[in-house]
Parts: sequence; C-alpha cells; structure tokens
Amino acid sequence: MPALLTKNRSMFWRIIRRLLESNRGRLFVILLALGAGAAVTAALLNLQVDAKRRLTTEFRALGANIIVAPRGSSDLPDSPKVIGQSLFDQLPAENDGNPVTRAEFLYGIVDAWALDPKQADAKSHKSTKVVVAGFAIAVGDNFTAHGLERISPSTVVEGKNLNFLNAPTCEIGQNLASELQLHPGARLALKYGDKVDVCDVSAVRSFGGPEDNQVFLELPAVQALLKLPGQVSLIQASVPGTPESVGRYIAVLAKAIPDTDVRPIRQFTEAEAKIYDRISGVMTATVAIVLLLTGLCVMAAMTNVAMERRNDVGLMKAIGGASRRVLRLFLVEASLLGLTGGLLGAAAGIALSIGLGKAVFGVAARPRLIVYPVAVALTVIVSIAGAFPLRRLASIRPASIFRGEA
Amino acid sequence: MFLRLVADSVTRRPRQKLLTTAALSLGMAVATAALSVSLDVGNRLAREFRSLGANLLVTPQADSLPLEIGGVDYRPVNAGAYLPEADLPKLKTIFWRNNIVGFAPILEVTVQAWSPASRSWSSPGIVNDVSLIGTWSEHNVSLPDGGGFVTGVQKTNPWWGIAGKWFVENSNNCVVGAALARKNGVKAGDELNVSGGHHTHWIKLRVTGILSSGGSEENAVIAPLSIAQTLSGKPGQYRQLYVSALTKPEDDFGRRDPKTMAPDELERWSCSPYVSSIAYSIKQVLPGADVRVIRRVAEGEGRILTRVRMLLWLVTCVALLAAALAVGASSAASVIERRTEIGLMKALGAGSGTVGFLLAAEQLLLAFVGGGIGYALGILLARVVGEKIFGAAPEPSLLILVVIIGLAAGVTLLGSALPLRRASRYEPAPILRGE
Repeated sequence: MPALLTKNRSMFWRIIRRLLESNRGRLFVILLALGAGAAVTAALLNLQVDAKRRLTTEFRALGANIIVAPRGSSDLPDSPKVIGQSLFDQLPAENDGNPVTRAEFLYGIVDAWALDPKQADAKSHKSTKVVVAGFAIAVGDNFTAHGLERISPSTVVEGKNLNFLNAPTCEIGQNLASELQLHPGARLALKYGDKVDVCDVSAVRSFGGPEDNQVFLELPAVQALLKLPGQVSLIQASVPGTPESVGRYIAVLAKAIPDTDVRPIRQFTEAEAKIYDRISGVMTATVAIVLLLTGLCVMAAMTNVAMERRNDVGLMKAIGGASRRVLRLFLVEASLLGLTGGLLGAAAGIALSIGLGKAVFGVAARPRLIVYPVAVALTVIVSIAGAFPLRRLASIRPASIFRGEA
Repeated sequence: MFLRLVADSVTRRPRQKLLTTAALSLGMAVATAALSVSLDVGNRLAREFRSLGANLLVTPQADSLPLEIGGVDYRPVNAGAYLPEADLPKLKTIFWRNNIVGFAPILEVTVQAWSPASRSWSSPGIVNDVSLIGTWSEHNVSLPDGGGFVTGVQKTNPWWGIAGKWFVENSNNCVVGAALARKNGVKAGDELNVSGGHHTHWIKLRVTGILSSGGSEENAVIAPLSIAQTLSGKPGQYRQLYVSALTKPEDDFGRRDPKTMAPDELERWSCSPYVSSIAYSIKQVLPGADVRVIRRVAEGEGRILTRVRMLLWLVTCVALLAAALAVGASSAASVIERRTEIGLMKALGAGSGTVGFLLAAEQLLLAFVGGGIGYALGILLARVVGEKIFGAAPEPSLLILVVIIGLAAGVTLLGSALPLRRASRYEPAPILRGE
C-alpha cells in the first residue's frame, strides 16, 4: 500500500507539472494577472499604512496645534502674564516617534523706528509702537534659527542674505514693513523704557494674521530688552500624529504642568480630525475595490482554463479518476499559482509603493514587512476563490465530451 | 453575412458571452467608481478644508498698526480706520462669487458690562474692559441682482461651538465666551447690560448661548454687528472682514506678482481660483481695503490638498490598470476558446484579416454592452462609497461614460489582439483534427 501511495503522490505531482507546462502562454497570463493583483494590493496596503502616518505629518503644514499659556492670560491686558521658560523642556520632544516642533514666544510693546544709516544720532526720529516677539524654536531636541514657518506658516515677501553682521537680525511682518517703509537690509531701532536695541531686517514675511504687525527677534535679545529674563509669554507646539494621539499628548502635558493653560488650537485640531477621517476612508475603500478586482482578474483567467481542460478532465474521469481527486489536482494547481504570483507580485508591489510614496510625499514610503505575508496570503485566497469556475469541471460527463458535444 | 455571423455567435453561445460581459462590466464598474470618486473627491475635499475657516482677511488700508497680543488689541480706543458695511454685497458680484463660501465682518469694541440684577454678575457689579465682538451669525445679505446670501461667523469660523443658541440678527441678544461666563457665573437666559463709555447709555442684551472657541473669543461677548456699531458710534462700519473661499492650491505661477505679468498671463492668472487672485478681485470691489491671505490656512490647505489629490489620482490609475488587466485577460480567454471556429473559418477560405475583423467586431459589441452596464453599476458603487465617506454622492458625469466606453473598447481589443494574432497563424488542418 505505501508503495502505491508514493506512486500515487509522484503521479499527482507529475500531472500538476504537466498541467502547468502544457500551455506556457496561458501560464504566463495567469501568473501575470495574479502577480499584478498581488503587486497592486501590496503597493496600496503599504501606501495606505504609510499615507495615513504621512498625512498626519503633512498636517503640520498648518503650523502649531497646541498652545501653552499662563492661566487666564488675558485677564489683565495691561500687564501680560508670563510663564517660566523652564516649562519649555517639559514638553515631550517626540510624539509617536515623530519630532514635535516647539516654540516659545515672549511678547512686548516697544517703540520702534527705522534707523537711517547716514544719520548716526538717534534723536530726531518719529517712533511707532509695535509688538516685538522674541522666539526660540526647537525641532525635536535641536534648536533651529529658521523654524518660524513651522509654527506660523508664512511666505517671505522680501528676503536678503545678510553676510556681514554687526547687529542681530530680525524678521518683520508685512504690515509693519509698509508702515515703517522697511526693506531687508534696513536697520530697526527698538526702545523699551530707557533701553534701545537695534537689529538688521533680514526678511519681510506675510502671515495674514496679527503676526503681520510684529518684529521677530531672538528670544534672549527680547528678554534682555523687556527685562524679563527666563520668562516667556506662551509656548506653541506643532504635534504630529493622529487626532487621538494629539489628544493624549495634551492630556499628559496638562497633567505635567498643572498651573498653566494647555489647550489645542481648535480651528486646526478639529479640521485635521475631520479631514483625516475622510482621507483614510477613501484609502480603505480603494484597497477594498482593488482586492475585488484582483479576484475578478483571476476568475476570468481561470474560466479560460476551465474551458480548455474539459477534454483532460473527461479523459481522467474515463480512466477512473474520482471527481474529488480531479478537483484536488486543480486546487493544488491554483494554490501553487497563487503562491508564485503572490511572492513575485508582492515584492514588486512593495517596490512600487516606495516609488509612489516618493512621487506623492517626496519621501519614499517605508516598506512594512507585515504587508508582504498579508498580500501573499490574500493572493492565494483570491486565486483559490478565483478557481471557482473549475468546479464546473466536476460535473463533466466523459461520454459527452468524447462525443464532441459542447 | 458579416452581421449574421456576429449575431449568431452571440445568440448561439449566450453563456460564454454572458460570462465575458459580466467580467467586463464588473471591471468597468470598478473603474467607473474609482474615476468618479476621485474626480469628485478633489472638490469635496476642498470644501472639507473650509472647516479650517476663513482664508482671507480684509482690513482697512489706512489702519494704524494694530498692537495685538494673544487676540487683545492694545491700541488706544478709537484709533484706526473702518470700512463701510454697505459695500459687502459687492463680494458676491466678483468673478469668483461662487467660490466665496462665506464672509463675516467684525467690529470689536471695549465695553463695560454688568448684570441688571447686579448681584450674580461679579461685585462691585461692573466688569470693565470686556471686549464685545460685533459680527453676523446668520445674516441675509441682499445681493444687487435681487437674490440673497446667508452668511456669518458660523461659516467663517465653523469650529466655534455654542452651548445654547446663536443670537438672532437685529435683536438685543448676545453670546458670551466660555471663560468670561465661567468667571462671572453667566449662563444662557441671563440678561446683561453693556455700555460703550459712561453709564448714561446702555443696551440690555439677553444671553442666548455660551461660546467655546479655544481662542481669545472665550473672553469676549459676541453680539450682532449693529449693537457694536451703536456702542462704538460707528454706524454702518466694520473693522475686519473674514472671507472663506474655495481655492485652487497655489503653484509657482499662482505665487507670481500680477503686476509683473504679461496681459495673457494676467488673464490666465485671474481665471484660476488661486487664493491670491481671489484676494485681488475682492480688493477691486472694496475700495480702501487691504486683502490679505491668511497664510497659515491657505498654505497648509494648498499643500495637503495637492498631496492628497496626487495620491488619489495615482491610486485611481493603479485601479484602472488592474481593471484593464482583468478585462484584457477575460477577453483573451474568450478568443482562445474559439480556436476551432477560427480554424473552420480559415478552412472555408476566410483570410486572417476577415477573421480578425469579425472577432474584433464581436469584442467591441461586448465592450459597449459591458461598458454601459459597468458604468451604471459603477455609478451605484460610487454613490455608496461617496455617501459613506462624504455624506454626498458624486454627480454622474458624461465624461466618465465616454472614458469608460473608450477604455472598455481599447482594453478588450488589446486583450484579444495577442490571441488573435496567434489564431491568425493557425494552420486550419491540425486544429480541425483536434490537435
């Protein structure tokens, strides 16, 4: 008996081999269909996982979404409240593995006027009251000098590289620039109490908000000018992550620094949550649709196979092959095809998704290993399900086949 | 004879034809759904992004420099310029009027407030320096062409949440910011007296709701614009105007300065709904106003929208490709199964061209039928998907029907071309012998 079984088994595989080899053209078509399906599935799955994550990072183009302010900051408008700068370090520098951009601001109202380079004495001037904003910005753990647009998105209207510096540089809002007729390269004087500071204007920015009326300087300079060392007016942060994860960040932070007011900037957090839901819905729907398509693709190819195999099946049955054994033969064939197509296709798909990610987000999508087995498994399932037309072969009556009836 | 052959082939083997048509129409249905969702999704998303609020800010050109920190203006009272409210209906006469989703004028005035009962409102009964923001909640702007347009702060600041109700236009109602209300124990239904300067003249307001906005408005009283105008003595005027407009993401061309453009470039620029070209046309109808783009909203929106659109198009392309493969494979199958027939035709003296033409005609017939059915199915599918995600179904478009039929025809022909070419090389004799 064992000898017969071994013989049976080797016969079984021989038939499978022959089935696969019999029509190379068609084998190629089926493998192509399965492979393409697997590739598309893998690419989209990978892109979907990646795109959702990437989108939450992309939302940071909207700037800060969290604000930390002294409690009841606008109670007494005459003396703006401040908080200690040390709080800044208590904001976690990372959320979900992505760096948080944090910024601290100190605001004050000073007298400002444009310094005429030819007139050295600063006596004959007409000054205007302006809001000066001292800022320091850190991306993750690293402080950066050019991070203002990460917190307050803006465009540079006019800019200039100031090569030789004998004064600190400042950036000014568009409104202020037109009011004081300042252009990059000009020198601005700021006076608070009896203290006067000067800075060279390096850029004029357009924000479309109250920032358009402000002068932006480095934080230590403003702290010295306003005589508020170690103090800031508020801290803003641009926290990446899904709406839930930003919510968790706020909750943790509010608990860590209880005597301040930690709140989301609702204008942005709410809109982000809404848009995020919509987009991930679209992505999920697309993946489902493509999976359906892959199934169709294979089913069409398998129908073709079923048509061609009628004679073979008729013969097998005529010489005593049971329907179940014949079906098992085709089932194994379908799984083998699915496995091969899936393995090759999914690999190609992941490569494809890296390219797609680069095209859309400018950064290659990170390949997720979990996607690979999932895509292969899906392809095998789809291929077996797609072999459904082959079931019709079981009901073939050998005699009618050999008589040549359709 | 030709038509008879085609008709015969369809009627004699209905089952095979049905199968091919089914595969074709399913594939095309998916293609239709993907196409119509992604054609529609751009507009839908652009509208969705309006939940970010206004993207344009109008201020008086002659205004003195605002001294604003954290939403509080430190300028002395009555400094600065104003704009006439009567000009506002003109906003809906500009070229891009249909892109303007909403607008709301703002007039802020510092008031003293106290409760008529004077006990529940904190002692000594008067709260000084409360900022009162006059605006529209749901104002019906009557347009020059006779129509009306309902707009207000609910459209420009959709994230403002209200516990209770918004005030009604032209009434002595108001809404109180959450922080202010908490501090002074005000709740909806209370009454509130506000006065612009001295206590000689005051207005009694009924609180209809409590506003939570997450911003400085939580420390203010929001009231109809007319009340702020009366209190500040500036009838028919406003200070700031927020405009929410549907825009096209700015590219390099959109960012250029219109003053440096050649006439034809300027025309192209002003005929694209860039946020800056909408700002430009608003400026032309509001004399004395400065229209600024709220960069934070506009830039972020533009960047994300561009990315998402690109992503959706790529995904649609991939879905189309997959649909094309499925349909191509099934039409290849339908040709392969007819080898005997082809052999017979050739044995009877038909040339390869005639055979190819006949089969191509059949496939095209299938493509039209399958494409049509697929289009109908796909529109249904798109409806379901669209309603599930955006709460609104995409409009069926004729363009998609044309594209789908064309795609179906092209793909079936391509799919059958390869087996057809092989079929035309067949020697009739071995096929007829059954080899």
